[in-house]
Amino acid sequence: MNKEIVAFCCEHSAYPAADLAGKQRLCYPQNLRIIRVPCAGRIDAIHILKAFEKGAAAVLVLGCEDGACHHITGNTRAKERVKYSEMLLKEVGIDNRPVGMFNLAPNEPHKFIRVLNEMNKRIKESREAK
Amino acid sequence: METKIGVFICNCGGSIKNINFDAAREKVAKIPSVTCVNLSSNLCLGEGKEKMLSYIKEENIERVVVAACSPELKEHIFRQVLEGAGLNGHFFSMANIREQCSWAHEGDVTVKAVELIKMAVNRIRLLQPVEKKELSVNKEVLVVGGGFPAISSALQFSRIGLRTTLLEKKPNLGGKLREIEGFYSLETSSMIGAVEEDENIEILTSTEVVGVEGKIGDFTVRIRKGAEEILRNFGAIVFATGYETEVSPQDFQLKLGINIISQERLAQMLQASSVERKPESVGFIYDVSDENSRLPTLATLNNALTLKERWGSEVYVFCKNVKVDSEGVEKLYREVREHGVMFLKFDEKPRISAEDGRVKIEAKDILLGEDVTLTCDLLVAEEKLVPAEETEALSTLLNIRTDSRGFYQDENVHLYPVSSERGGIFFIGGCRSDLDFQRALVDVSSVVMGVYKLLSPGKILVEAERVKVDRQKCRTCLTCIRVCPHSAIQLVRVDNEKEVAEISDLACDGCGICAAICPAKAINFEGYSDEQIVAQIEAIGAS
Repeated sequence: MNKEIVAFCCEHSAYPAADLAGKQRLCYPQNLRIIRVPCAGRIDAIHILKAFEKGAAAVLVLGCEDGACHHITGNTRAKERVKYSEMLLKEVGIDNRPVGMFNLAPNEPHKFIRVLNEMNKRIKESREAK
Repeated sequence: METKIGVFICNCGGSIKNINFDAAREKVAKIPSVTCVNLSSNLCLGEGKEKMLSYIKEENIERVVVAACSPELKEHIFRQVLEGAGLNGHFFSMANIREQCSWAHEGDVTVKAVELIKMAVNRIRLLQPVEKKELSVNKEVLVVGGGFPAISSALQFSRIGLRTTLLEKKPNLGGKLREIEGFYSLETSSMIGAVEEDENIEILTSTEVVGVEGKIGDFTVRIRKGAEEILRNFGAIVFATGYETEVSPQDFQLKLGINIISQERLAQMLQASSVERKPESVGFIYDVSDENSRLPTLATLNNALTLKERWGSEVYVFCKNVKVDSEGVEKLYREVREHGVMFLKFDEKPRISAEDGRVKIEAKDILLGEDVTLTCDLLVAEEKLVPAEETEALSTLLNIRTDSRGFYQDENVHLYPVSSERGGIFFIGGCRSDLDFQRALVDVSSVVMGVYKLLSPGKILVEAERVKVDRQKCRTCLTCIRVCPHSAIQLVRVDNEKEVAEISDLACDGCGICAAICPAKAINFEGYSDEQIVAQIEAIGAS
């Protein structure tokens, strides 16, 4: 794998949003691979780093909106861990692989597409910078 | 011996068009440990399910991957098929080749679809069985509060056969019921009488909750009555502790006195048989400090109407907005206007001063666009809704959030307004929001249904040890207990020496926050364990 985006999607928000994007035929690039998780808070730095180890171009962690997390604090914990893994990546010199945590509601397929497009743009930019 | 994995690919009644199913089938068959691949359309319908069942039995398939629609839609149906075939329902995974593959992309997506199936196969290989077990629950309910929602829900619980304890902080029941009974033609005494006579309801007055331990279906509540403390067990707890009102004249630098009074004082004056001097003109002022003015609006409209009818005074209402979103209030508002009550809407705070023993109000009316100056004999200041004083202490005790105004937070404002993030603990009525009478009634019905569903079978079916703490690895750092949003983790002592964390199958909602945060990696979340997530990542781009 070298061009794929690995997205960890919370089953309460981002996963239904991705489903809705499909239902509405909002086409997006084929390089997205979604892994369904019960809460964004399940994701630890190890999962993000493993994805990069296997060659992911970018990693996304998608959870519920702030203050609306089904598991109360899952999304804020995910944000902290994404920040932490970003720091680890920088430390080992992998700073051209974008990783991001975004909040979205289950009825926001357009935001899902926007996040995805932004990530693809960042991948392109970091490739060109290299 | 290798586990036999069966893959079922469905074209969802022909709605998946851009996948070459025969090519996909060939590729999937080459994945190690996949014993058979079955193509079908309408796998989720009767005939498809029957075929799937017979196929599982014929080929001795042990684990099943279905590549079709989103698991959000049909996962539970396929799990039932597995259980029908005598397999563990947990040995199942779905590859979403419809919503997140075929429908989301243009052009041929066979390669991606095969990869998604590969991810699912990789995950399912590592799954461990999860057994289901039945846990018995305590069928008693504790209702905390003495107001209308508390009394009404206690009566309904008793009617559906659940023993109920009604616990009130004050010496007698009724709460704010006496204040509103006139508006809704309720009979306070008959309701309280019905509760007192009911054999299924135990009433504890002048009593407080000082501690809650345990989990859904099995709470241990510490109750204090005077100097005495007792422990009682309940299956569910309903809080209906209500709200309090606070007169907030400080918003206008006002001082309550003879000319400036609160709504409560006005209600008392109106109920009294005689009054010294009937005020010729009365002003009301509200909606300055708080956006949530549903109940103050109702009180103002009701009092204004009574004033008109009983004393015939001139009535002016100064407000920002008249909120008429409760049932019947639009009609009431019209009636009030027809009786000659004047509404003046302002944007900026009106200036209020004393003049010859009367109250002078200067405001800019936004509808007229002009400055209006009025002098009234009496000004009724607004009342603000605030949470009951014990709310803060209780929320800390229960480990439950409050919203920005200090009221209890709903679990989900649309779907589960009366539930909290802890299973088996409910909040109804004024302690969660400013609800009018009709909305409080809806709350009562929802909580009765919620508790009935939970407790009436006497047992709950749970997945046993889906999230499990490895007792050898646990170092008792308490991190998981601190982070668990559902208060599902407790310490238990093993072999009389070490204390370790233990997760309650009943209270756990399966978020996995503990599994991610555990520094010793002692918590395993079956279905979403580290290995199972990494196995999915490994399948990406491998072809």
